[in-house]
Amino acid sequence: MSSITHTSPDQDALLRAGIDRSLRHPVMFFLTSGAAWLAVSILLGVIASAKVHSPGFLASCPLLAYGRVFPAHVNALIYGWGMQAAFAMILWLMARLSRKECTMVGAILTAGHVWNLGVGLGVAGILLGHGTGIPWMEFPSFAWPVLLVSYFAIIIGAFIQFRVRPEGHAYISQWYLLAAMIWFPWIYITANTLLHCVPGHPLMGAGINAWFRSAMLFLFFTPVALGAAYYLAPKVTGRPVFSYSLAKFGFWSLAVIAPWAGMQKLVGAPIPYFLPYVGAAATALLFVPAIAAAFNTLRTMLSCPDTLAASPALRFTTAGITGLLVLAVCAVLLNLPGSSLRLTQFSLSGYGFEILALYGFFTLVMFGAAYFIVPRVTLREWLSRRLIKIHFLFSVYGIITVALVALFGGLQQGMGQEDWQQPWAGAAARAYPYAVAMTFAWCLILFSNCFFFIHLALMWLRLGRRSSHPTLLVRSHGASVHGEEGDIDNAGTGHAAAH
Amino acid sequence: MSLRTFILGLSASFGAAWLAVVVLPYLAMRDTAPLPDPQATDSAGVFFPKRTGRVADGAIIYAANGCYLCHTQIVRPTYAGNDLYRPDWGGLKEDPNRGDTRRETNAYDFTGETFAQIGLNRIGPDLSNLGRRLEAAQATNGDPVKWLYAHLYMPRGNPERWNSTCPPHPFLFEKREIKGNPSADSLPFNAGTGREIVPVSDAKALVSYLLSLKKDHPVPAALNFTPVKKDSDG
Repeated sequence: MSSITHTSPDQDALLRAGIDRSLRHPVMFFLTSGAAWLAVSILLGVIASAKVHSPGFLASCPLLAYGRVFPAHVNALIYGWGMQAAFAMILWLMARLSRKECTMVGAILTAGHVWNLGVGLGVAGILLGHGTGIPWMEFPSFAWPVLLVSYFAIIIGAFIQFRVRPEGHAYISQWYLLAAMIWFPWIYITANTLLHCVPGHPLMGAGINAWFRSAMLFLFFTPVALGAAYYLAPKVTGRPVFSYSLAKFGFWSLAVIAPWAGMQKLVGAPIPYFLPYVGAAATALLFVPAIAAAFNTLRTMLSCPDTLAASPALRFTTAGITGLLVLAVCAVLLNLPGSSLRLTQFSLSGYGFEILALYGFFTLVMFGAAYFIVPRVTLREWLSRRLIKIHFLFSVYGIITVALVALFGGLQQGMGQEDWQQPWAGAAARAYPYAVAMTFAWCLILFSNCFFFIHLALMWLRLGRRSSHPTLLVRSHGASVHGEEGDIDNAGTGHAAAH
Repeated sequence: MSLRTFILGLSASFGAAWLAVVVLPYLAMRDTAPLPDPQATDSAGVFFPKRTGRVADGAIIYAANGCYLCHTQIVRPTYAGNDLYRPDWGGLKEDPNRGDTRRETNAYDFTGETFAQIGLNRIGPDLSNLGRRLEAAQATNGDPVKWLYAHLYMPRGNPERWNSTCPPHPFLFEKREIKGNPSADSLPFNAGTGREIVPVSDAKALVSYLLSLKKDHPVPAALNFTPVKKDSDG
């Protein structure tokens, strides 16, 4: 990054320190409240998942009925954690890459509180039995304008920073982030106005909803995570991105393919026939942008095996990008019309696929970015490598279980459903063990994220280590590249260049 | 690449798909033309699948309590799945009056609803013809309404469904003192002496909606995809 600047290293470090200082509270606010929502969502997910195989669990409480807990879990995951983690990424990366301090801290924090209020009321609305019953849009209909307005208030500053940035060059990360910032309101306004304000055919409403879910995954969460990965991989390893033309190809192929995907969920429904087939083709073709981005970032990270082994940011990012590869394989294997789609259309693999995208790919990359960003904005180092390792291991074990459920559980369940000569109970029996596995996966993920949340909250309280040495996953022998162990506050600005 | 070119590129790549798969099909399906049906005598020669019951407010309860998470409402054509082969999903294989009434779901089947609850997963069976199926099963000595109340209150209360994974919905019911004669709707579960369990308004709306699910009306020729049976097929 610094190769293009014309400032001295000291000025450069001062600028970056200034940017980090200006963003301390917005970034930490979104990450911490996002992590709190993640904890809420996972807890609701454990409850919902347990009810799939043990319906008597907590059955007496209407607030915790399966049909309310599950949508609350999914919506808290998307709007509480996913969107807020994305806000933190967009604000910090856009400011750093555009080399502009954030000047709208008050407005961003206010809008952030409004966002959290909207999500809180929405989740409460679902639990109290006022959900709309439209998947991923279950918040009562008062919530979406609130979320939309606060979204614009949060994001507009990052957009202006990009517009007035001093250099003409735009990094590939900025492409992805800027595109996500533009796509999200377009998708969100389209789905909400068509479903809430312009009554149309009920079946096409279901089609729009399927498209909305796919577009949120592939046109918001995917580009944000790829933007972060394309920043972290070269930044932490200190090597340039493996291939810039491959990065461009990956970006534009995503932009061209992803908007067509989604409606394969309605194959067999009486909507125009081409829609499910176009959706299935586009979803399978998403393999192309996924492979391009994954190959590019992984090659960049693997160019420095020692850094990869030591850096928590890179370890999570590598796991997340591997999740993207698995997701791309699933997108092809689960969506073949005529063979696998009829099995998976109404099975556990729909949910498994979404969790694989939201957690196995997006969230893991967000964790990686958080492990990189938080020490910079708080000027404290992570407390313990052991906490980071526990977080990593249990997250990965959990998400591997989810992936197995998505792939094999969905196909097994689908085979039971298609076997029309057997009674229906056979299909339910085939799904049962996979439903138990899903609960197990959520328990692992819950366990791992308790540690992350505690760690993050301590960092925001500035109780992290006051050291000039980052917390790495392997203990270094001999001299450290960061020099003598020292107190970061006394290290002076020159040492900030290490960041 | 300037910001303007970039945004133009994004708008073109996204906008083409947005128009082609979202906006235009949505607008086109808003104006679904009435389908001529010469056999329909009571609706001026237009195909109009009638539904009776509290369809609109029952659909709200169905949505708010997440029934769509485990139950679908779509009978797919055979190219997309084997739903039609099941004896009681697309209609009834042996209806006493009409013979085989099974057919796939069509675009006119969601009359009266604002959002088609296609569903996400089939942990439970498809409900497109739940009303038809239950009425047939309870035809001899049962009451489909009471069966549904009992099922919603405690799905595992039915000995045939001891391992049902359907969640119980006790909050759609209330326990109350019996004043005078017991309610006709009271459930066959023990509520203590002098007390009974009765459905609240939400449960009545939901059950009325569920019993309105009878999507096997005869369709006009334009929608009838049933293969013509030759005599040799028996």
